[in-house]
Amino acid sequence: MREKRTKVSNIGNNPESTVSAIASPRISLLMGRLVSMGGEASKKSLLKGGPLIALLLLIAYLSFASPHFFTARNLSNVAVQSSINAILAIGQTMVIISGGIDLSVGAVLALSASVAAVAMTYHGQSMVVGMLLALGTGALVGSISGIVIAKTKVPDFVATLGIMTAARGLALIVTGGLPVPSHKALLEVGAGLPSGLIWLGSGDILGVPVPALVIVAVTIMGWHILTNTTLGRAIYAIGGNREAARVSGISIDRTKIMAYTIMGLLAAVAGIVLTGRLNSANALMAGGAELHSIAAVVIGGTTLLGGAGGVVGTLIGAFIMGTLGNGLNLLGVSAFWQQVIMGMLIISVVVFDQWRRRRFAV
Amino acid sequence: MPTEPLLRLEAIDKSFPGVHALDHVDFDLYEGETHVLLGENGAGKSTLVKILSGSLPKDSGRIILRGKQVEITSSYHARLLGIGMVYQELSLIPDLSVVENIFLGRLPRRRVFFIDWPRMYEEAQQVLKKLGLIIDPKVPVRHLGLAERQLVEIAKCLSLNERILLLDEPTSALSEEERQRLFNLVNELRERGISIIYISHRLSEVPIVGQRVTVLRDGKKVATLPVNGVGEDTLIQMMVGRELKEQYPKEKMIPGEPILKVQDLEVKGALHHVDFTLHEGEIVGIYGLLNAGCTTLVRALFGLQKTDSGKIYVDGRRVTISSPEEAIGLGLGYLTRDRAGDGLIHPMPVLPNITLANLKEFSQLGLLQHQKERREGEKRIKELRVLPADLGRCAMYLSGGNQQKVVLAKWLCSGSKILIFDEPTRGIDVGAKSEIFQLFNRLVKEKVGILMISSELPEILAVADRIFVMRRGSFTAEYQRGEATQEKLLKSAS
Ligand SMILES: Nc1ncnc2c1ncn2[C@@H]1O[C@H](COP(=O)(O)OP(=O)(O)OP(=O)(O)O)[C@@H](O)[C@H]1O
Ligand SMILES: [Mg+2]
Repeated sequence: MREKRTKVSNIGNNPESTVSAIASPRISLLMGRLVSMGGEASKKSLLKGGPLIALLLLIAYLSFASPHFFTARNLSNVAVQSSINAILAIGQTMVIISGGIDLSVGAVLALSASVAAVAMTYHGQSMVVGMLLALGTGALVGSISGIVIAKTKVPDFVATLGIMTAARGLALIVTGGLPVPSHKALLEVGAGLPSGLIWLGSGDILGVPVPALVIVAVTIMGWHILTNTTLGRAIYAIGGNREAARVSGISIDRTKIMAYTIMGLLAAVAGIVLTGRLNSANALMAGGAELHSIAAVVIGGTTLLGGAGGVVGTLIGAFIMGTLGNGLNLLGVSAFWQQVIMGMLIISVVVFDQWRRRRFAV
Repeated sequence: MPTEPLLRLEAIDKSFPGVHALDHVDFDLYEGETHVLLGENGAGKSTLVKILSGSLPKDSGRIILRGKQVEITSSYHARLLGIGMVYQELSLIPDLSVVENIFLGRLPRRRVFFIDWPRMYEEAQQVLKKLGLIIDPKVPVRHLGLAERQLVEIAKCLSLNERILLLDEPTSALSEEERQRLFNLVNELRERGISIIYISHRLSEVPIVGQRVTVLRDGKKVATLPVNGVGEDTLIQMMVGRELKEQYPKEKMIPGEPILKVQDLEVKGALHHVDFTLHEGEIVGIYGLLNAGCTTLVRALFGLQKTDSGKIYVDGRRVTISSPEEAIGLGLGYLTRDRAGDGLIHPMPVLPNITLANLKEFSQLGLLQHQKERREGEKRIKELRVLPADLGRCAMYLSGGNQQKVVLAKWLCSGSKILIFDEPTRGIDVGAKSEIFQLFNRLVKEKVGILMISSELPEILAVADRIFVMRRGSFTAEYQRGEATQEKLLKSAS
């Protein structure tokens, strides 16, 4: 791994680029370190390193294919572009490991962002209040999903499908179907979003984009929950064998509710970042985000069966998607074809992974 | 015996990451022979038969069937070659009915598109009857108990009309009656010229069903011998590579205060007026045949089965238990019979599986204490000799017996004062069994009370201080230690 790092940073020896701190190589290095605790484990993580290898190959290829790819500015672009998906996908990872799936994340993102934006622009609330409102909304909707799934027999897929539709509806009600702040409000009243919020979406610290820092924070949090807490243990257990977990005294209901609540919170975080980046919120923002987040999880090597996987792979998955999108843009591939390629990528990654597992019986 | 074996394996070799499961093993099987395969947990028995059934590829070696070399590429291919298998960790599909499971992949057709249901029911009922299983073949397998599922799995294999049958621990969940029936059936098949490879940890079965026996140790073949004239002791010696001091070690204990008292427990249609008391430092055995209600009783105690009436006292205090979480909170622990269904978390490594039921002990304010956890895990896998001794290995990659040890370890480190064990030694080899009973002795000294269901008569007779016999949901007899014999237990149970 060290070897790869030096190689990559040689290519990117741009002195002014503290940015490359957030460029994927270093993040993956950090993550690699997080994964590899102890010698035996690191050998295993190398065996599991399919997604990481794919990402590095992609970066290597794009660096040769386009002179604009491996620049500090572009890499920080990639990070910003991947940030929403990465944040959502980290939450999605926990839900999927627990044996569930959350289709409502894009809608919850839009709803929390809309609530916050309306409060801040039209009701004179401060940024702190706005953010708390967003987080509260996300957590509330997430916990409702969790409660519905835990207390009724409705499958996760169906429950969150319902919540998704309802949340979009609520977001439309809250915003009246208009962007917040609307053009009119912006022009006539001068009502806008607090500048701090905009900084969260498009500012930087010493050249490192803030969304990239948010990814790092969220990933560390997700990793910490999954590996160091009893909640994380319970998430793996109920996803791995629900009945066995129950007999061992793990509360399925509590664990599910917690997983979906955290997911909701992260959807709100992504909503805040996206609102800051777009300088506005609207009820239809982040359309299709749920599917992208699931794709990132799958590309990162977490199986939809539950019980296994982790956020580090997911982060790499999100970066593979972000890097590919960015690279295809640079290479002038049309947005339509990009979708086709992305779809093929998802399938081939999973096929490859299954083949590798069968072949090497890992 | 004909000179040329029906099936010959030459230098079969198979490795998994970090484990050499089979090391150039030779093996042969004659027509109309039952060849018993013995070996400690993890010796490579299941791996060998899985290679024959096409569910695992071999690394090297030759398989010669009827004088011709074959490469078995899939289970489907194995079936075409006339090889059928009963898997150790059953392979039934829970949501399909019994009959659908039995005929899976070869539903009889009437004309082209129509499944011949009447014929299927009839045939299914016939095989099931031979095994003594009287159930409606239309019920989903998910509603059946483990023993019933094992019988259905056997029925599925028997109805195939295969020439070679691979039976991987087919009796591990069966009680005396069904086992006898199975032995008769196996012998009947053999007389019809069918060849059988039979794996079991119950050595008493060897002379009943087998003609020859092969012992594996650490993936290598130790010897192949005719069954006649080999004593159990010799077999044990070959399996574990040392003499076993005592198969069922037992230390005398004087029971203390009552810790669990059950009064008039009733589950409509399953349990009737069950009364008993378990004391500190006591091992109470419960013996019953298929569907006697033993499992229902302990599930009710653990909050997994609704009760209609009755009182439960823990440490003299009246309690109601409506979930395993509450039960564990009250100091109970429950090792279920079906480790694949509700025992093991397969994709999780060994360590978190072991500490799962006692996370409170290994965490503070919800934060896991990895070092403490690891120390405990290391102690437990050493104590129970889980092999390979790797806490980070995924539980699903362990052999059946080692998986059982992991689930046992979970309850041994749960800190429970009342341990309920449903077939605790299912799939565990003789050597490890004796060590597990040593551990029971230690638990008992620590004033733990143990409630043990076992279908293995010698085991329950040797280990339990008192034995209750159950039939059709109620206790029909109680024996003190030393009072009971195999005959008495069987008589009260049937
Ligand atoms: N899929 C697998 N992946 C990795 N290792 C495996 C796998 N299956 C089996 N092993 C290893 O191969 C060895 C032999 O296992 P096998 O299941 O054949 O044992 P066994 O003799 O059937 O034991 P038991 O009596 O416990 O059932 C064990 O050490 C086990 O850990
Ligand atoms: Mg086995």
